[in-house]
Amino acid sequence: MLKINNLNAKIDKKSILQNFKLEINPGEVHAIMGPNGSGKSTLSNILSGKKGYDVTGEVLFENNDLFSLETEERAHKGIFLAFQYPLEIPGVNTNVFLKTSLNAIKKARGEKELDAIQFLKLVKEKAKELKFDEEKLGRQLNVGFSGGEKKKNEILQMSILKPKLSILDETDSGLDIDALKTVADGVNALRKNDNSFLIITHYQRLLEYIKPDFVHVLMNGKIIKSGGPELALELEKKGYENIN
Amino acid sequence: MEDQLKTDFEKNLRDFSYSDQEKKFKKNNFNVFLEQGFPNRKLENWKFSDLNQIIKNNIGELTFYNDYSKENQIDKIELINELEHNKLIIVDGKIEKIDFKFEDKDKIEVLAEQGEEIIKKNINSLINLNNAFSNKFCKIIIKKNYSLKKPLVVYHSTNKDTKFKNTNSRIDFKLEENACLKLIDIFKDNSEKNFINIYYNFELDKSSILKNYKIDRSINNNIKYSYNNIKQEANSVSETFILSSGSKFFKNEINCDLIGQHSSAFVNGIFDLDDENHHEIKSNINHLIENTKSYQLIKSVLEKKSKAVYQGKIFVSSEAQKTDGYQLSNAILLSENSEFNAKPELEIYADDVKCSHGSSSGSLDENSIFYLMSRGLNYKEAKKLLINGFLLDVIEKITDEEIKNLIKNLLGVKE
Repeated sequence: MLKINNLNAKIDKKSILQNFKLEINPGEVHAIMGPNGSGKSTLSNILSGKKGYDVTGEVLFENNDLFSLETEERAHKGIFLAFQYPLEIPGVNTNVFLKTSLNAIKKARGEKELDAIQFLKLVKEKAKELKFDEEKLGRQLNVGFSGGEKKKNEILQMSILKPKLSILDETDSGLDIDALKTVADGVNALRKNDNSFLIITHYQRLLEYIKPDFVHVLMNGKIIKSGGPELALELEKKGYENIN
Repeated sequence: MEDQLKTDFEKNLRDFSYSDQEKKFKKNNFNVFLEQGFPNRKLENWKFSDLNQIIKNNIGELTFYNDYSKENQIDKIELINELEHNKLIIVDGKIEKIDFKFEDKDKIEVLAEQGEEIIKKNINSLINLNNAFSNKFCKIIIKKNYSLKKPLVVYHSTNKDTKFKNTNSRIDFKLEENACLKLIDIFKDNSEKNFINIYYNFELDKSSILKNYKIDRSINNNIKYSYNNIKQEANSVSETFILSSGSKFFKNEINCDLIGQHSSAFVNGIFDLDDENHHEIKSNINHLIENTKSYQLIKSVLEKKSKAVYQGKIFVSSEAQKTDGYQLSNAILLSENSEFNAKPELEIYADDVKCSHGSSSGSLDENSIFYLMSRGLNYKEAKKLLINGFLLDVIEKITDEEIKNLIKNLLGVKE
């Protein structure tokens, strides 16, 4: 599904990712763990199409050259980034945003767009599953939402848009244990044979609830070690400094 | 210009039957204008918008005579059909039609005689110009306790062959105690390169409500100035909303004298400008007695080489304790060449008041754009959604639902 070969990324001449390699197959859950400044967020930004990076190398998503696709085209093809810091968009109603987004993607895929009634039914159902306060759907996007509500809103979007590859950028940060469980349940409910996840995190905590197939350790822009779920536990014990 | 002015003024006096009192009034005003000419940037009020230069650069030489005896065609003017309304149609400064078809006839009076009026030298020369050249006097009185069932829409239009002309129109309004008027100004220009000068005088008696919505949306090459003078008695409310967008140049000036306790004034507006359009809102809110309130919110979205100016003044006299005065302006600059000028002015002589002002300008937030695009919206859609969101809170200030929806439609703002 996703193939990253020799990816190098620089921002203002500062090298962030170096010869980065990763392959994700359909149905797999990969976790990338690393300390602050190791390049985790850069990776998720580049995959979802944020501007401002100088990149070389190759990224293929379902055999499409990712770098030739605009941000919204990547979303149309099924890439979703759950933001570490979801943005507050004043004046934009959450429901309106969700519907606009879903229908933009459906339209690009040649599917039938949802009308207001169909959409409301869908969004209410999903909000209930995620214990997301329905009243918030009528409010301005993320404005006045708590940290946990913002993260839940990301997962809500994910469950409505049904992406093929979901990138979760530190979705666990700022979540209390109940919210963490709800978010994990939401992710687990979406796990299918044909869709994949890339989970970026500092801590092993989230991985107790979302079992990864692979764990990678990212240090200074490179993957220095890969393994199974046990690697996360090892990291938790030893810390990043002592892993090799 | 001076010779042209004199010739046109003489012709105007000769061709139309004004009373001696009116003649005297016109002559006095004419002399003031002759002496002062068009406002220029040497005047503090006009430092961001040098009207003299703007007229020179965009029009050149103006003529001032309008033939008020000829019947102008009004069937070509496109009327709004989104809402039922009473009509007042002005073409080249002449009131062609007044139709209060939805109202009780005995509740509205239209006067054609002007009482004694002292010229206020200190407003500006454009008011003098207006008084000198505008046609027959017109004063609309809304009787005590009467609320108009439908809004009054004033269509400001020009004849298709009117060019390089100055046109002047003036209407006086009196809202008697507890009366209510919704007034919409719509600009439908059929020709270009004119200077259109509009002057409204409002007297708001106790507990009356005025809602004035000025909608300048059609793209045109005319230069416009509009002056609202509003005098408010106790418990009266004035709500002014300006959608400033389509004209080459437009300066809207609102002067509001709060002379009765618990009177309040709201001035809200949107600059939605493109190309090289240059628009200004200038407000003077004068708190002249205790317990009055004013609120102003102006939002700007500026493309290309457009320029917006907001000069908001709050004056609080020494008697006006417990004044509540607020103003805020925010601008989004969509191009490096666009420009927003804000000059808030607070002049306060009372000590127990609550007054504040604020202003911000910046570009669209790229991170917000990225967020929306990562959800499948293209750049244009993301930008549109953000701008709509930015404008929404000022649109929400419109208290009339029908008119709010009309303006939302005009701006393409969806809920």
